[in-house]
Amino acid sequence: MEYSENRLLDLSYAHRPKKGKVDTPFAVLTLLLLAIGVMMVLSASFARAYYDPDKKATYYFTRQLCFALSGCGIMYLASLIPISFFRRWAFPSLACALALLLLVLVAGTEANGAKRWFSIAGVSFQPSEIAKLAVILFDAQLICKYKGKMHSFAYGVFPFALVAVLVVGLLILEPHLSASIIILGVTAALMFMGGTSLKWFVVLGSVAVAALAIMAFGMDYSSDRISAWLDPFADSSDTGYQIVQSLYSIGSGGLSGLGLGQSRQKNLYLPEEHNDFIFAVVCEELGFIGACAILVLFALLILRGFWLAMHCRDRYSFLVCGGISSLLAIQVILNVAVVTNLVPCTGISLPFFSYGGTALWLQLGEMGIILSASRRVNEKINKGSK
Amino acid sequence: MAHNKVNKGGRPPDKKMLSRTLILMLVCGLAAFSVLIGRLFYLQIIKHSEYEALAIEQQLRETVLDNGRGTIYDRNMNILAISADVETIYISPAEIAMHGEDANLIAEGLSEILGVSREKILEMSEDTSSWYKTVARRVEADVAEKVREFKNEYSLKGIKIEADTKRYYPYGSLASHVIGYTGYENIGLSGMELSLDNALSGEKGRVVKIKNAYGTDMLYTKFEEYIAREEGRDAVLTIDSSIQYYLEKHLKQAIADYDIQNGAAAIAMDVNTGEILGMASMGNFDPNNYQLLGEKDQQLLDEVSNEEEKENLRATLQQKMWRNKAISDTYEPGSTFKIITLAMALEEGLVGENEHFYCGGRISVIGDAAGKGRKCWKTTGHGDQTLTQCMQHSCNVALIQIGQRVGADKFYDYVEAFGLFDESGIELGGEADSLWWNEEIFCDENNLTQLAAASFGQTFTITPLQLIRAVSACVNGGKLVQPHFVKGFVDDSGKIISTDEQFVSKKVLSESTSESIREILEQVVCDTKEGTGKNAYVAGYRIGGKTGTSTKTVLEADGTKEYIVSFIGFAPADEPEICILVLLDNPSSKTGLYISGGNMAAPTVGKMFADILPCMGIMPVYTEEEKELMDKVVPDVVGLSLGEAEKIIKETGFSCEVRGEGEYISDMLPSPGNAVASKSQILLYLGDSKQGNDREVPSLIGLSYAEAVAKLAYNDLYASTDFCGLPYDETILVSEQEVIQGTMVKAGEVIELELIDVDTAIYGLY
Repeated sequence: MEYSENRLLDLSYAHRPKKGKVDTPFAVLTLLLLAIGVMMVLSASFARAYYDPDKKATYYFTRQLCFALSGCGIMYLASLIPISFFRRWAFPSLACALALLLLVLVAGTEANGAKRWFSIAGVSFQPSEIAKLAVILFDAQLICKYKGKMHSFAYGVFPFALVAVLVVGLLILEPHLSASIIILGVTAALMFMGGTSLKWFVVLGSVAVAALAIMAFGMDYSSDRISAWLDPFADSSDTGYQIVQSLYSIGSGGLSGLGLGQSRQKNLYLPEEHNDFIFAVVCEELGFIGACAILVLFALLILRGFWLAMHCRDRYSFLVCGGISSLLAIQVILNVAVVTNLVPCTGISLPFFSYGGTALWLQLGEMGIILSASRRVNEKINKGSK
Repeated sequence: MAHNKVNKGGRPPDKKMLSRTLILMLVCGLAAFSVLIGRLFYLQIIKHSEYEALAIEQQLRETVLDNGRGTIYDRNMNILAISADVETIYISPAEIAMHGEDANLIAEGLSEILGVSREKILEMSEDTSSWYKTVARRVEADVAEKVREFKNEYSLKGIKIEADTKRYYPYGSLASHVIGYTGYENIGLSGMELSLDNALSGEKGRVVKIKNAYGTDMLYTKFEEYIAREEGRDAVLTIDSSIQYYLEKHLKQAIADYDIQNGAAAIAMDVNTGEILGMASMGNFDPNNYQLLGEKDQQLLDEVSNEEEKENLRATLQQKMWRNKAISDTYEPGSTFKIITLAMALEEGLVGENEHFYCGGRISVIGDAAGKGRKCWKTTGHGDQTLTQCMQHSCNVALIQIGQRVGADKFYDYVEAFGLFDESGIELGGEADSLWWNEEIFCDENNLTQLAAASFGQTFTITPLQLIRAVSACVNGGKLVQPHFVKGFVDDSGKIISTDEQFVSKKVLSESTSESIREILEQVVCDTKEGTGKNAYVAGYRIGGKTGTSTKTVLEADGTKEYIVSFIGFAPADEPEICILVLLDNPSSKTGLYISGGNMAAPTVGKMFADILPCMGIMPVYTEEEKELMDKVVPDVVGLSLGEAEKIIKETGFSCEVRGEGEYISDMLPSPGNAVASKSQILLYLGDSKQGNDREVPSLIGLSYAEAVAKLAYNDLYASTDFCGLPYDETILVSEQEVIQGTMVKAGEVIELELIDVDTAIYGLY
C-alpha cells in the first residue's frame, strides 16, 4: 500500500462538482423502509413503555425517530464520500473494530451473561456492528489486491479465513453467536463474488456447519434453543416462551392483520417486541399482506443493491456494494427466519425496524456507502448516454 | 494515471464475478424471500385460527363476580347471615411511580383512614413492579368513601378501590354452630354456610376480559364478555332465634352454675316435623370472627410461650370451639334411653301399664357371673313399683327386667327402627357415627348382659341428635321424623318455597303406645314427690321428660369418674310440640352439688321451657294451688280507708300489719306494683306514721324458701322469686340472693331469690 497520511484524509472527491445523482429507487426504498420501521417501533413499543413507570409511552419511538433523522444525515454524508476513501480506511477500520471487540470484553456492559455493549452517555452500541462493515471494507480490499490469485487457497481463502477467525473468535468470547454467523456469511458472500474457487466453499462450508453444530449442542444455552426450535410448545412457558409468543402474534395477524397499533401480543406477552421480534408485531398488525409487502420492499432494496453493485465501474465499489447488500440480506432473512421459527432463536435485529440507535446509524451509513457508489454508476450511465 | 483515476478500485468486475453476483442476488433476493413468504403463508393463513385461538386464550382473563351470597333467615325471617357490599382498598405501586405520585402522602392518608401502619404502606409502594398491593380488605362503605374522597382530593391514580362483599352475622355467636362461617372469597366453610353453599352462592357471574400479560387492561383493545350468573338464593332455616337465644342463655348459665368442664349441648326440635328450632353447643364462637378464641381459651393460650406448642394448642382449642357437640360427639345416653326401652315393651305388648315391678337393689341376667348381679343405682332397692314409678324412680332393675322381656333380637331391631344405627341425615356436616355391639354379640342367647346394660342406656354411644329424634318418635304418636334445618328458600317474588315435603317420617310406634309414654313421662316431671325430673317442672305447663346421668364407661376403666348429665323433656305433655334435650358434659365436683341429670339438666330444661313456650304461643294455665303459691303484685291501697285497704290486701293473697294511727292509709310497704311472695305481710301506715330506717339485708343462702321469706319480713323486707312450681317445702333452698348480705336498703325493698331443690334422695344416678 502506498498511500500516505494525507491521502487517508483526502476527501477531494467529495468536493468534486457535478458528480452523479444517488440512485433514486435505492434511496426511496431505504427511506420507505425506514419510515415504516420507525412507525412500527412506535406501535410495538408503546405498551411496553406505557407500563414502564420510568418511561413515557412514546419513549422508544421518540428516541428511534431522532436516530432515524440523524441517521438520514449520516446516510447523506456517507453518500457524498467517495468509495476510495472507504478503501483507504479499510484496514484502519478493521484494526479499530478488532480493538473495540477486545475492549468490550474488558469494559463492556454485561447483559444476559454476554458482554456485547458499550454504554456511553446513555447511548449503547455494539462493536460487532462496526466489525461487520469493517470486514466488508477490508475483504473487498483484499479481493481487489489479490485480483488474479483468488482461485488459490493462499490468496482466495487463507486471508479471509484469518480475518474471519480473528473477528469471530472475539465475538465468540462475548459470546455473540448471531454476529458471528453474519460475519461468516458476509465473508463467504464476498469470497464468492471475489472468485474464490467453489471447492473451498464446500470444504469451508462443511467446517463451518460442523463448528456451528458443536457450538450449538456444546453450549447449554444453545442446546436449549435447539430444543425450543424443534418444539417450542413443549416448554412454552420457559425456553419456548419467546418463540411461542412470536408464533401467536404472527398467526393472530391472519391475512389482513389486526390493524396498525392493534397488536394484542405486544401487550407485554411478546418479549423483545420492539427489538428482535418487531416483525412479529408487523405480521400481527398488518397481516400476511402487509408482512409480504415489507418483505418485498426489502427484497427490492437488496436486489437493487446488487444491481447497483453489478453496475459499478470499479471492482472495489462492486465488492463493497455487493457485501453490504449481502449483509442486509443476511440480517433480514435471518431475523424473519428466527421470528417465524425457521431457524433456532438467536438475537438478530431487523434492519430499519428494530429499536436501536447506533445499529440504525451504521445501517443507514452502509446504505449511504451504496448510494455513494451509485453516484458513480449514474455518472457512468450519464456518460454513456452522451 | 488517467487509468488509475477512473479505476480507483481496480478494473470493473469480470464476467465470473458478475455471474456469481447474479447467483447471490437470486439466492438472497428471491429464493430466500420466497421461502420466508411461504413460511408466513403457513403461519398466518394455514395456522391462523389455531394460533389466534391460543393467543386469545392467554389474553383473556376471567374475573369471577361476587354476586352476593344469599341471606340466611331464621323461621321468623330474622336475618342470621347476610352479605353486605364492602370495598377492598389496594394500591398500584407501578402507577404511583409512573404518575410520580407522592408515596408518602398516600401512605400517610391511607394509614390515617384505614389504621394500617404508614411504614407498611410505604414498603408496599416501593415495589414499583407491582400493580396490586392490598392495603385493607373488606372495609365498610363509609370508610371506603373517605378513601375515595382522599383519592379524589389529590387525584391519586395509585389508590384503587375494588368492590367486594363481606358476610355479617347480626346475632354474633347465636347459633354459630348451625350457621357456620364463610372464609376468604366468601365460601362457606362450616355449618349451613357450607351445607347450603351451592344454593347460597348460586352460579357466580364472570367477566371475560382481554388483558395484558400483567393482568391489567389491554391498551386500545377492548373486549369484554359477561357471563350471566345465577343469583344465590336466600335460605330460611327452621331455627327460631328466640328459642335459640334461650337455649344458649340457660345453657351458659348451667355451665357457670354447675362448673361444667367439657362443654354442653342443647337441642330443641319440633317433635312433629323434625324441624330443629334451636341447637346450641358450648363453647361457641362468633362467625364474624370465627378464629377468635373464647376468653378462657385465650388465657390458656397466652400462658404457653413456645411458638410451636402455641400454634398446636390454638388449633386444638379452635377445633374444640368449632365442634358441634350436638351432632359430632357421641355419648352414652344413660337413663334418658329408658324411654326407648319402655316404648319397645309397650309396643310389643310385653308390659302392662298397671303392672308392678320389684326392685331389690340388684338383678342378674344370663351371662352374669354367679353372684355378680347388676346393681340398681339405689342399692337398697326401690321395692315394689308400678310401671310409672319405675320411670319416675329411673329404676335400673325394673328396666333390665323390661329389656329382658323384649329380648335381644327385637331390641336390636327397634334400635335400628329408631334410626340409632344411622346418621340422622341432617343437613349439617360432621355427624358422628353411633357405636353399638355388633348383632352377633348383642343377640347372643347365652349372654344377655349387653342387653341388660343397653336397657338403661349404657355400653353404646349415640349422638344427642339421634336421641332426641328417637324420643320424639316415642311421644309424637310414633313417627320417626327427619331432623332438618332448611325450611325453604325465598324465590324471586319474595315468597318462601317450602322444602317441607322432602322430609318424610316413618311410623315406628302406635299412637296408643305413644300416649302411654307421654302419660308416664309427664309423671316423671310433675310428681313432686317421686319424679326424678321434677326440677324441670314449670308452673302452668304440662311437661314430660326423663333424666339421665351416665358415667363415662371408657374413663371409668382408668378410675376417673366423669359424668354426663342430661335431661330430655317435651311439652305440652298431652300434645307435644317441642322436645328439648340438654346435655352437660362433666360437671365439676367442686360445686358441692349432687351431680345428676335431675339436679342439673332438669332445672335447665325447665327454665328453657318457661321462656320458650310463651314464645311459641303456648301460654301457661295455672292450677288453683299454683296460683296461690305464686308471687303476687302488691295492690295500691294508699288513700283508702283502713277497712277497704285490708279487704283488698287479703283478697290479693297477702296479710297486713297496720302501723300508726288514723283513718286512711298514708303509705305502704312494699311499694304498689311490686311482685312479692304470696302470703307476705304488707305494712300499712296510717296518719303521719313513718317508714323506718334503712335495713341491712340478711344472709339467706341455704335457708328454705319459707325461712327466707320470714327472715326478710322480720326486717321489713320482701322476697320474690320466679315460681318454680314446686311446693315450698324444706328441700327447696335459697341458692342465690339478688342483693348480697350486709347491703343497706330501704325498708320494703324486694329481694329476688334463686331457689334450688336439694331433695337428692329421689334423684337417680341412672
